[in-house]
Amino acid sequence: MAEGGGEVNTFNSTEVNMSDKTFVSQIAAAAAAVIFAAMGSAQAQEPIKIGFAGALSGPASFVGIEIKRGSEIAIDEINAKGGIKGRKLVLVARDDEHNPVKTVAQYRELVEREKVVGIVGATNSASMLAVAPIVNDTLKVPVICPATDATEITENDAKKNGRDNYLFRVGMYGTGQANFMVDTMTKKFGHKKIGLLTWTGGWGVTGRGELQRRLKENGLSPVTDETFDNNDTDMTPQVIKLQNAGAQSILNYALVRENTFVVKTKEKLKDGTPYVSAWGIAGPAFWKAAGDAAEGVLTSTTVTIDGPQSPERMAFINEYQRRYNEGMSAAVFAVGAYDAIYLFKTSMERNGLEPKQIRDGLEKIPEFNGLVKHFKRPVFTRDRHNAVTEEDMIMTRWTNGKLLEVKFDSKGPYVEIDAKTKKYIDKATMKLL
Amino acid sequence: MYFFLQITLSGIATGAIYGLIAVGYSLTFMTTKVLNFALGMWVMLGGMLTYSLHVEYGLNPLFVLPIVTLVLFALGVVAERFSVFPFLRAGSDVWVMSTLAVGFLMIDLAEIIWGRNPTPVPPFIGKDAIYIGQVSILPQQLLIILVACVMFLALDVFYRRTLLGKAFRAVAHSGDVSGLMGINTRRIQALSYAMASALAGIAGFLVVPLTLAEPQMGTVLGLKAFAIAIIAGLAAPRGILICGLMYGAFEALVSGYLYTGIRDILGFSLMILALFLKPEGVFGRRQEERV
Repeated sequence: MAEGGGEVNTFNSTEVNMSDKTFVSQIAAAAAAVIFAAMGSAQAQEPIKIGFAGALSGPASFVGIEIKRGSEIAIDEINAKGGIKGRKLVLVARDDEHNPVKTVAQYRELVEREKVVGIVGATNSASMLAVAPIVNDTLKVPVICPATDATEITENDAKKNGRDNYLFRVGMYGTGQANFMVDTMTKKFGHKKIGLLTWTGGWGVTGRGELQRRLKENGLSPVTDETFDNNDTDMTPQVIKLQNAGAQSILNYALVRENTFVVKTKEKLKDGTPYVSAWGIAGPAFWKAAGDAAEGVLTSTTVTIDGPQSPERMAFINEYQRRYNEGMSAAVFAVGAYDAIYLFKTSMERNGLEPKQIRDGLEKIPEFNGLVKHFKRPVFTRDRHNAVTEEDMIMTRWTNGKLLEVKFDSKGPYVEIDAKTKKYIDKATMKLL
Repeated sequence: MYFFLQITLSGIATGAIYGLIAVGYSLTFMTTKVLNFALGMWVMLGGMLTYSLHVEYGLNPLFVLPIVTLVLFALGVVAERFSVFPFLRAGSDVWVMSTLAVGFLMIDLAEIIWGRNPTPVPPFIGKDAIYIGQVSILPQQLLIILVACVMFLALDVFYRRTLLGKAFRAVAHSGDVSGLMGINTRRIQALSYAMASALAGIAGFLVVPLTLAEPQMGTVLGLKAFAIAIIAGLAAPRGILICGLMYGAFEALVSGYLYTGIRDILGFSLMILALFLKPEGVFGRRQEERV
């Protein structure tokens, strides 16, 4: 600033008769020259574009916003350290309003017009199922999904026919989650009488099928198989039927709203049957809606940001809080998106900047220290495009407003309230001992 | 036996909610043959206002109730003036669409004002379930059943004993003749619409501790209530309450003894069957058409 001021003075002293107006225009011209010069250098270093199309408005927007924020934090970090091969990363985000028709159009636009070299998924499985064949057949740009758990997104036609599969995932996938839920309850908790309680909506129906399949594979069948509508506010009939069937635990696929009604009904009926949900309630919204009635509810997920955390996670949690002035509403998506960006970066640096090279590179990352977890094996292989496998999923327990990871040692399942306090869980009731 | 009693009671509690909303359809239908198809969204508005006043501003429910009632009544007057009356005057049926349009407008506005996350509203009178023998019911559910019964009794008295109520029935019978007899038909039309809106507001106020406050909370409730109003007969307010309670119990019993997945299929089939067999409703009386 001081130097600039000096220059202005020189102008004034040498050309004393200059009017104020010409002086201003001189400055403007100089400023313009500087800006043009800057733009020139930016053009030489065109940024690398990463796309995203998902719900940024409407009821599912919280998913899209988390993906966008997680991506932005990663991109800004990378850019602050000089970008990738000297080029900046930028995110080009589109709002598909949770509508698969729009997702398809926006994917085309992102690839054909914006020339993105990678995409961070979408916010609903229907959208991803709609774009998957287009991505593999015509767009040929790698996509990493932090949300959207339909199994067929990655297990698609291209994979079955041995062609290059451009779809990858760092979030949950349906088959794996159902396997994990059933296996955890039957093998680790020793429950043999499992009841199902699922939502009649899209996600609940697929979930129900997956749970039934896994129970069958374990030689079991559900003691009762209940469903509910997304406008049921009282689940009395279902809960009593589960009680009467003698269910040792109830497995569920639903979102926050329906799960709230389930746990409130259970509270009303003083029903203590352990309740295990898929990752639809793995965020603070559930505790906010259900309150104390949520105590002891288990949910499978990929990540929880409550309880003791690694330094890398802590840094991310704090950065998120600092930038957006609020906590994450669904950490899994923000954390997944953050890792997706770093996976793109790793692949670009190892294998090249063309979409095909990035795709091939993703299958060859031997180890990756991500926020979801430290993958001490190849993140993806040609046959496995799900980074998070059943072995990586975690069971969590709602404990006094916190979603704590359930860990196991020789004495049984436990949660860590903080770095020092370890509480064991009763296998039959899920109560803390 | 416990199973039967418990699910029936829970179902009746849900049915009282349906009945409370359903009577709103009858209020406007009786005077103008107009139906506010977005009544569920008005229920939502009542619920969201209750959330703001009770949870955000900590106002006692006893004060919240009159405020919600008055606000919804006033909005009802405005909505009728701009989204129903112009079409009614022109003899057009476009109000079918315009009442719905107002409803969708309200959902979008609610999403902007309150956001989309379901938020709990604590029950007004106690959180712990009341036990009748082994059977349990939430105090809030009991309150709804009681209020629904009182409301229907009050409406009955209103229609049969008060001058205004008689004027309502006269307009319902024949708007033109009532006009000639010196009844301000126009005012009755507006009033019935506003009363239906206020009733929806009261329903929202009562229901929101059970449903969670969120912009979509009323949509399906309004639809179910509509089915009940049709089954009972739009011109039979007393029948609507009975039908509401029965429909609630029916839903719970289907869920309990059969399967939740077929519940709405059976419910709405019942509505179509009722329309087919008795177009004026199970409790409705056939209107004699004189030419």
